Amino acid sequence: MRALLDGFRGLFRNAGLIVLVLALNAAVALVAALPVASLLREDLSHTGASTRMMYGFDYDWWRHFDHQAGGLAGDFAPDLLGTGFAWRNLDLLVQGVVPAGLFSGFTGADAALLALAALYWLLQVFLTGGLLATFRAPAGGWTFRGLVHACGFHFARLLRVALLAVAGAAVLFAAWRPLTAWTDRLAREAVSERTALVLVFGRAALLLLALLLLHLVSSYAKVILVCEERRSAVLAFVSSLGFCARQLGAVLLQYLVVGLAGIALVGLFGVLDRWLPVSGWTTQLLALALFEAFVAAQIALRLGLLAGQVELQQAGDRPRE
Amino acid sequence: MRRIATGVLLAALAAASVCCSRPQPYRLRPLLLPPPAGPDAPGLPPVPAVSPRNASYTIEARLDPGEHTIAGSLVLDWRNTSDRALSSFPFHLYWNAFRNNLSTTARGEGRRRRFEPGEDRRRFGWIEVRSVRRVDEGEEDLTPTRQYLHEDGNADDRTVMEVRSARPVAPGASARFRIEWDALEPYGDPGRAGWVHDYHFVAQWFPKIGVFWHGSWNAHPFYPTTEFFSDFGVYDVRLTLPRGFVVGATGRLQESRDNPDGTRTLRFVQEDVHDFAWTASRRFLERRGRFEDPGYPPVEIRLLVQPEHEHLAARYVEATKIALRDYGTWAAPYPYPQITVVDPAWGSASGGMEYPTLFTGGARILSPPELHSPEGVTVHEAGHQFWYGLVANNEFEEAWLDEGFNTYMTAKAIDASLGEPAWGRRVLGGREWTGARLGWPVVQRGVRVPRGADERAELREGGKEDVMARPGWAYRDAASYGLNSYSKPALVLQTLEGLLGDQTMTRVLRTYARRFRFAHPATADFIAVVNEVTGQDWRWFFDETFFSSDLCDYAVTVDRQPVRVPTGWLEGRDGKLEYRKAPPKPSGREGAVDSRVTVVRRGEVRMPVQLRVEFEGGRVANETWDGRDRWKRFEYPSAKVVRAVVDPEGRIAIDVDRVDNEWIDTDGPARRASTRWAARFLLWVQAFLELQTVVG
Repeated sequence: MRALLDGFRGLFRNAGLIVLVLALNAAVALVAALPVASLLREDLSHTGASTRMMYGFDYDWWRHFDHQAGGLAGDFAPDLLGTGFAWRNLDLLVQGVVPAGLFSGFTGADAALLALAALYWLLQVFLTGGLLATFRAPAGGWTFRGLVHACGFHFARLLRVALLAVAGAAVLFAAWRPLTAWTDRLAREAVSERTALVLVFGRAALLLLALLLLHLVSSYAKVILVCEERRSAVLAFVSSLGFCARQLGAVLLQYLVVGLAGIALVGLFGVLDRWLPVSGWTTQLLALALFEAFVAAQIALRLGLLAGQVELQQAGDRPRE
Repeated sequence: MRRIATGVLLAALAAASVCCSRPQPYRLRPLLLPPPAGPDAPGLPPVPAVSPRNASYTIEARLDPGEHTIAGSLVLDWRNTSDRALSSFPFHLYWNAFRNNLSTTARGEGRRRRFEPGEDRRRFGWIEVRSVRRVDEGEEDLTPTRQYLHEDGNADDRTVMEVRSARPVAPGASARFRIEWDALEPYGDPGRAGWVHDYHFVAQWFPKIGVFWHGSWNAHPFYPTTEFFSDFGVYDVRLTLPRGFVVGATGRLQESRDNPDGTRTLRFVQEDVHDFAWTASRRFLERRGRFEDPGYPPVEIRLLVQPEHEHLAARYVEATKIALRDYGTWAAPYPYPQITVVDPAWGSASGGMEYPTLFTGGARILSPPELHSPEGVTVHEAGHQFWYGLVANNEFEEAWLDEGFNTYMTAKAIDASLGEPAWGRRVLGGREWTGARLGWPVVQRGVRVPRGADERAELREGGKEDVMARPGWAYRDAASYGLNSYSKPALVLQTLEGLLGDQTMTRVLRTYARRFRFAHPATADFIAVVNEVTGQDWRWFFDETFFSSDLCDYAVTVDRQPVRVPTGWLEGRDGKLEYRKAPPKPSGREGAVDSRVTVVRRGEVRMPVQLRVEFEGGRVANETWDGRDRWKRFEYPSAKVVRAVVDPEGRIAIDVDRVDNEWIDTDGPARRASTRWAARFLLWVQAFLELQTVVG
């Protein structure tokens, strides 16, 4: 826990990194959102539905829009409201749409969005080197030039780690398909719906857990690669496995705390979002600020976890608490 | 440290409780229903007390739950209600649809499951008639005359059997048949009937005589999409099965007797029905309710619910009451003293189906009230009692007279009693059928699905494929059957209600439901009732809708021009031509304008429409148009139109694109709405992008 707290302290000392990642995130997301905004504007222009969509949701209009809209606009659906977007993303993750639709036959989201997601994934792999280099000595602060230099220096090796993780996920999802078919068959034959429900949610939970473990190992491999200036991605992976096995309690506790904080964040967002009526420009700006604050907090949690991992790794095998 | 961890944990739990909180149970809306009309209400046809009872069955059947077999014998008392002597008699053997992969049902695409290569042996089922005898005035063995009919040319189909008698049955005369048969129940979901674990749903299970209707026998094969048609009678059924089973069946339980061999025989009797279905399971929990409302006969409601759905029992019962009350007043009251509601077992395909005085619902453990499930399916299946059950049209040939009427009234009843359902999506269950049904329900309470919206979308997307009024097996595919039997007729009737008004529509439905109770009416009978009640010829309306594959779409456009100031060579006061210059363009605010509102008929269907035009300053003009030309222009000199709506009251429910029905002057709402929703879309994309970092 102390390592995680130290990590978050280090992150907040370098809070500009959150802004940088947020800006990058928003810039890529805008590429997808702007055409949708334009399509919405065009479709709603001078219609009665525009008034209804300003204050609520016009279902009749949306069915029509959804039928006509192709591409990115096809992802526009009522579940964007409230915390629905988080559920949708979790569902997409379980379906294998992440990253870039690789494990779902590129379905579940629009191809252009998946391409953007792939670009963002690559950017994050690139940034990780700089971030880890900063978290290695957080008191030293960071400069953009230094960050980019570190990013470039570590990129190739980190990319290999990331690709190894993707390969691991590919194996996981390949093994997942027969398991899904098997649990579907068991669920179909179950006497009670309750059993079927446990099977279906159980397998989703198992998949999420497996993905989390994969993330854990790959994340520590990146930390080891940068902090120990290793060359081999494979050996970093092996070292990470050993480290995680030795520090299992500590590394899992970090994930547990960050995961719970993530759930709390989504819940808090849900409350605030419900409380904030949106119609005019002022309330729209407030809502946008809320949205960006949410994404910033999400990014902070991810970076905080990464910084905590650096702290834990640097503390070595000696327990800190 | 521990305090921090505890704090985070508590915050997460609080957040989870916000995300996953149980919604408030729904409240019934205050009802604005017309008072129910009694059996002898003035101005309405009397309600027939009894049916023709020309096909009465006395059945004895024994279920072997271990082998999933039924051994049965029946005595059919049949009266010839036609005007000619008949010597051939067709019988439906519906379970032969599941006999192999060669039956007409198995070969086609439809609502029933197709048999795949390598199919599980348990999924096949059959019915085999051992003997058919005519036992009135001496015994005649008809078994040797048995043959199978194949109107569709499929010689492998065994779903309609015909026997011939040497003694024709004269008009008005009766015949008695004795039939013995064996049957194997299919497993799972090839059709509605079948078993899963210890749950047995036994429907369309005995040899059933066809209907002599409109001058010929009406006994079609069991097509992949079609339903049923049969005559009314008295059913007296004895079922023998091992003790410990909870049994639900058509009719009322008259007798229960324990046998020495460990079985129990239950006797159910019901008059004036045209079918008999039953179910048995050891897992059923039994719950009871009673429908009592002034002006309606009381009805005992018996619910057989799965243990895991016990928490939904009250919602099942309440939804049944909604159907009994709403349909009872809009059509004619339910006449039987009891109704049985069956919550089907997990894995069975028997859910959402109707049989006389018994129907199946369908629910998931996770059923937020806002999604109106199981209420929607319960109201719908209970509602079938009033059309399929009591009016009993030919579902093979005119499915919409039951499904369409019922879908229309379900939506009306749900709207009146519970309000519009919320939109929801199930997540984390996966894409396969089983998991997708089980996913976690994410409900968007702010998004309501208006009555007819989904049906309208369906009509828009597939409405041109088929003329609505055609036999159930003649549609292009199963989706077209669904659209033209459920959604389109429901929208057509909603449109008719809009054009006639609620009061007249209620009178139409009451007249139709009472006059044709137990009478097998056809579409022409309904049209005749509409004409009779309204005193006008509405045939045109049905030609545009029932007998057409055209779409209806009206739109409005507005064009404004500055008021024309005379410019050019004009006659002056003295009659001589003089030149007048154009006035300077007004700066800033728009000057006086002339407005032209054009209503356009984009579809082929023609309906009378109304137009509401609102002007700057608050003045309103209401216009009407017969809707027959391609367009109609309304001109308003020196008046600035700020809003124009075609069909402002939403009477034309079949208008497939309602977005183009309304024009507003300002574009501000479009700007604000688009940025509002684009911001939400941006948030989702941002979160989705961040999600990418989970793998890598």
